[in-house]
Amino acid sequence: MNPTLYMPIPATIERITAETPDIKTYTIRPDEPMPFKAGQFVELAVPGIGEAPFTPSSSPRISDHMEITIMRTGRVTDWLDTMKVGDEVGVRGPMGRAYPIDDFHGREILIVGGGCGVGPLRSLLLALVEDLDSYARIIVRYGARTPDSIVFRDAQMHGWNQGGALDVMLTVDEGNSGWDGHVGMITSIMTEDYLDCHADDGVAVMCGPPVMMKYGTETLLERGYRPENIYLSLERNMSCGVGQCGHCRLGRYYVCKDGPVFSYDEIQNNPRLWDD
Amino acid sequence: MKWTLVVSNGLDNVLTSLAEGRDVYALERLESGNYKLKQSSAWLPEQHTLGAFRSIEPLKALFFPAREFIGTWQKLTIRKPMRERIVFGVKNCDLSSLAIYDHVFLQGVCPDPYYEEAREKTILVSTDCSSQLDVCFCPAVGEQPYAEKGFDINIAETPAGYVIESGTERGAKLLQSAQQYLKEAGPELLEVFEQQRARRYGELMEHSEAHGLKPGMDLRVAIEGSFESELWKDFAKDCVECGACNFICCTCHCFLLADGVNADGMPARTKLWDACLYNGFARTAGGGNPRHLRAERLRNRFDKKFSFFPQVLGRYACDGCGRCTEACIANIDIRDVLRRAVDESDALHAHTGDH
Repeated sequence: MNPTLYMPIPATIERITAETPDIKTYTIRPDEPMPFKAGQFVELAVPGIGEAPFTPSSSPRISDHMEITIMRTGRVTDWLDTMKVGDEVGVRGPMGRAYPIDDFHGREILIVGGGCGVGPLRSLLLALVEDLDSYARIIVRYGARTPDSIVFRDAQMHGWNQGGALDVMLTVDEGNSGWDGHVGMITSIMTEDYLDCHADDGVAVMCGPPVMMKYGTETLLERGYRPENIYLSLERNMSCGVGQCGHCRLGRYYVCKDGPVFSYDEIQNNPRLWDD
Repeated sequence: MKWTLVVSNGLDNVLTSLAEGRDVYALERLESGNYKLKQSSAWLPEQHTLGAFRSIEPLKALFFPAREFIGTWQKLTIRKPMRERIVFGVKNCDLSSLAIYDHVFLQGVCPDPYYEEAREKTILVSTDCSSQLDVCFCPAVGEQPYAEKGFDINIAETPAGYVIESGTERGAKLLQSAQQYLKEAGPELLEVFEQQRARRYGELMEHSEAHGLKPGMDLRVAIEGSFESELWKDFAKDCVECGACNFICCTCHCFLLADGVNADGMPARTKLWDACLYNGFARTAGGGNPRHLRAERLRNRFDKKFSFFPQVLGRYACDGCGRCTEACIANIDIRDVLRRAVDESDALHAHTGDH
């Protein structure tokens, strides 16, 4: 018996950090610790309003609280945007399949993020850097629309390269007067000029808006990454989170229980993989 | 062992005995000739019947209600234990459909305790179909108008008498308690019973074939093979995406967790049937939608039933009950859709030589 199957446990908002004009990171403390693995998601509920799926952006080593980085984009996130420190939310989870970190040992890992999709990737990165010696190399490529919409901007530009141990590069679709970094789509910093990688046996992990994932995957395949080594965090309307309600079906899978992390070879034959 | 009645008009005694102390769900015949499942506290011989064919509404509602209250915020409603109940006159299409719900609500990541309790507390008494509706086509999806498994007790009426058997230990015990009204069915009765089943199957098969659907047709190949067909656009021209086919379906299981406030102003959550024909069904917060077009949503319904479920459970999520055909206000007949899918996938295979 699991009476909490469809009901969240209460959680308190402990901190709210504005990342960009429309993205905030919420630190929540559930009434009971909620251990999760990087890439798994939770259903975050605004009492009486609704709930939506989000992947935590904080380290999976920490279970008494979690950070969730959220873009204001719909009904639940509009409500979240009005909430304050001390307010109560609900959380169910963790749900779904995580990044297969054990399979990453000894290999080169390319992390490709777009926009708010860097949230789950930050959680992965925080897990990886605690054990840096276990991986051949870690590369991060991130794209945002503008310099102002870069999520975790200070960390990405200064902290994430771990004093040069990681190869981190950012790009923006449109620059401004204060930006002296790269300008161009995410795929423009995945070319040979900007990305030195071992695609044949390397692992690529990508999360971002569907259109970015679509062209990003094409670029990874062109660079020689194998479909089984490309891991994508898919976005569908995950509602119950346990493979019952039917909303997130993708071919023979439910994204909530069989994903949200899929290797590209598992899903490449789906005719409507990238929603539009 | 199969049983029959000691006295030929003694069925009401048996049913009354089975019903004793339980909530009863039994069929009532409506003026239209259809059957409706109604709740009562006993078997009522004057009102109740075992029914010649399935009821208007699907059996699923007894296990997966259209609207199920989950709880208020921070206060999960602990429901009173469900009373034991008995359902009379279940037909094989509905009985077979429970395998879908068992798969979804019991055998997945996290079992649903309410569904589990409802299944445990419900005694299922099935009966052979003695007639059929025009919309019936169960042989085409591998089913038949009588139950071979999934029942606690099955009752078949034949011209030579009733044949009564148990399908579970629970059913056997119940029949023990009605032992005074029962005797072992003899070989002659059983022969009539088997012949009647074979004849009924033949009749339904002919009926189904008259609509172009033969038993054994590979409907998975048909639906997967017609993915790019124009047929979905053609049928979608008539579809008004009301979701009636979803709601009335004896296998559709999708639901929505709806949040709101109750009469006391407390945040509350309800589990509601949902319909994949609705535009917002698969839509994500940013507005992305893997199925923008009605034709895509109509196709998705068939894809789920005839491609997804064969892959995950080894069976179609359709039992040929024809309720969707009855319910569709645009007169879309599921048999027409399936037949065209079969025709077009055959044509496609013939064209490409890939058979």
